[in-house]
Amino acid sequence: MAQDPRVTNVEDLPGPKSKGEMDEFKMPYEQYCKKLFDAGNEHTKPKPLNGIRWLSCTMYIFTPHSVANLAELGAEVIKLEIPRMGEPMRHTSPFNEVYLYPFSDMRPMTGTGLGYTNANPNKYFVTMDYHVPEMREVFYSLVKKSDGLTELYRPGTLDKWKMSYRFLSEINPRFIYVWGGGFGYGPKVFGGSYDILGQAHAGLASITGMHEYMGGHCSKCTNWVIDWQSGNLISCAIMAAIHHRRKTGLGTMIEFSQVQVPTRMLGHTTTMYGKFGIVRQRWGNWDTQLAVHGIILCGKSDFPDAENPQDRFDARYVMVSAFQDRDFKELCAITGLNELYEKYKAHKDRVEGEAQVEIYAALERWAADKSRSEVAKTLGDAGLLAEPVRNDREVYESPHYRERGTVRWMEDPLFGDLVVHGGYSTGLMEKSPRRINWHWRPLGADNKKIYRDLLGVPLTKIEEWYKKAYI
Amino acid sequence: MCDIIWCKKEVDGKKCDTINYLDPYCFWNWEGKINCAECGTVYYIHMIQGFMYRGPEERPGEKSDTSPLYADKPYDGYSNYRPGVEGRTRPFQCTPRKHLLGVADKVKFSIRGRPVRGWRPQPPSAGLAGSHGFNWDIQKLSPELWEEYQKKLAADEVKDW
Repeated sequence: MAQDPRVTNVEDLPGPKSKGEMDEFKMPYEQYCKKLFDAGNEHTKPKPLNGIRWLSCTMYIFTPHSVANLAELGAEVIKLEIPRMGEPMRHTSPFNEVYLYPFSDMRPMTGTGLGYTNANPNKYFVTMDYHVPEMREVFYSLVKKSDGLTELYRPGTLDKWKMSYRFLSEINPRFIYVWGGGFGYGPKVFGGSYDILGQAHAGLASITGMHEYMGGHCSKCTNWVIDWQSGNLISCAIMAAIHHRRKTGLGTMIEFSQVQVPTRMLGHTTTMYGKFGIVRQRWGNWDTQLAVHGIILCGKSDFPDAENPQDRFDARYVMVSAFQDRDFKELCAITGLNELYEKYKAHKDRVEGEAQVEIYAALERWAADKSRSEVAKTLGDAGLLAEPVRNDREVYESPHYRERGTVRWMEDPLFGDLVVHGGYSTGLMEKSPRRINWHWRPLGADNKKIYRDLLGVPLTKIEEWYKKAYI
Repeated sequence: MCDIIWCKKEVDGKKCDTINYLDPYCFWNWEGKINCAECGTVYYIHMIQGFMYRGPEERPGEKSDTSPLYADKPYDGYSNYRPGVEGRTRPFQCTPRKHLLGVADKVKFSIRGRPVRGWRPQPPSAGLAGSHGFNWDIQKLSPELWEEYQKKLAADEVKDW
C-alpha cells in the first residue's frame, strides 16, 4: 500500500496488472478452465496425498484398487506379494495372451497379465512371506513407519498371524487398518467373494439385462464393476479415516463387505420394496422412469466390412433420449410415428411398460434400414440426444477423450509404450491432480528400496532372505 | 479340468500307478509323445480341443517330446512331482496360448509403432533380490529392438496416436 493515501498505485487496484493477466481475464471461461487443469502436465503439480505411506496385502482388483486410488493421488503404497509367485492377478490376462515381460528376474519366461491394469499403478512392489516369524518383525517395522494397511484375507487370518488391527494398533496407535472382506461380518462372514458373486448376492444381476419375455436373461456386467466400485468406496472411507486422525490423532479400523456394494448401486430398489412391497424387475436397455430413454438396435452396422466382429456386427446400437413431451413429439415427427405421439402424449402414459414395448419396437422398425451413425445424425440434427454405443477402438479414437487427456499414451519407465486411462478417467483437479507414474513394476522390483533404504536392512541380510525365499 | 494319463505300467513287478496331468494350456490341441513322470514310459497322444482323439499308446524305446506339468500317486499318499523336476515334469512357464495351440502372442511394438515390452524372454535386471531399475534402456537392454525401432522411425511408421 502506498504511504500517502492520496497516491494510487496501479498494483494495489483490483484487476489485471499486465498484458498477460489482461488476456487471461478476457479468456472465455472454458479456455480459462482448460488452462487451470492443463491436462498432460499433471506431473508438474503437487501430489495431494504426498507423505501418506500405505501397506497393501491385497489381491485381485477389489482391494488393490482401493489403494491404487491413493497411489495415483501421490501416496507411497507398498504392495507386499508372495515371493516367487506374486499375487494371482499378475497371472490373469484376457484370453491368457496379453502379458508384459518380465514378471521377475527369476521367471523370464513369465509375464504379468493385463488383468493387473488400473489396480496397481504407482505402487512399490515388495515380496514378503509374513508367515515366517522372522519376517513378521520386519512387517511390524513397516507398520511403525506407515499410516495404514489394506488386507483382504479371510476374517481372523491376520489375527491368527498377530497382524490384525488389535496387534498393529498397539504398535502404531495412528494406524488405519482396512479389512476388505467378501461378505464382511455377519452370518456369512467366512464366505469369500468375487465380483460376480457380489452382483448376484446383492441383486444387481437380477435387474440387469432384458426381461425374460423379451428374450433376455439376468446379466452380470461384463466388466468387474463391483470390484472397481468397492475399491473406490474403500478409498473414500480411508480419506475420512485420515481426516478423523488429523482431529483425534488416532487410527481406526475399516471393515468393508464387497457384496454390500451393489445395494448402494441399486438406487431406489430396496426403498421401493420397503414402501410398496414391489420387487423390481429387469428393464434392460430401457428406463423404468423415463421414456424414451434407451438403447435401440439399428439394421446396419457402421463398419460392415470390418475384420473385427465387434465392429462388423455390434456397431449397430444407438442410445436415444427424448422423454420430454416436446422432444418426444419431435422424435415421432422425424420417425413418422405421429400416431404414437397422439397415443402417448403424456409422459406418465409412455413410461408404462406396455407403452415402452410398443414405442421401442416401432423405433427399431424405423431404424431397421439405417446404420447407427445415420440414426444418431438424424436425431442429433433435430436437437435430440442420440449417441452411438461405442466400442474400445472408438473410445480410443474419440477426440473428446484425447483432448481431456482421459485416454493417453505414456512411456512406462519399464514396459514402454502403453495406452492408459485409469488415473485420468476420474475427473480433473486444478492443484492436486491424479497421475500415473508407472503402470506396474515386476515382482519384488522394489525389495532393495524398501528393505534397505526405508528399513535400513543390510544388503547381506536381504540377500540371505532372498535365498531362503522369505522375500 | 484336464485330461490325464494314468500310468499302470509294471515296473519291477509293481504297478507304476501314477497320474500324469495333461494341462490344457499345453495339451489342448496337441499331438506327440509324453513321458510318465514316475517310470518314464513314453505315451503317444493326440488331443483335439481338449478331447483325447487318440491314445495314450505306449511307444517303447522312443523319446518323449515333453513332460507333464504335474503328477501324483493317489495310492501312495498322493506323493507328487511338482512342476520343473528335471527329467520328470516340465517347468511352469505360464505359456500363453494362441488359438489354444500353446504359442504366446508376443508384441514388440504398440499399435502406434513404439517399443513395448510384450515379448520374452527379457534380460534379467541383475538387481539384488529381484529389484529392478526404473528405466528400460532399450538401446542397452534390447539392441535388436532398438535397431528395428530406428528403421521404423526412418520409414515414418511411428505415429502419435
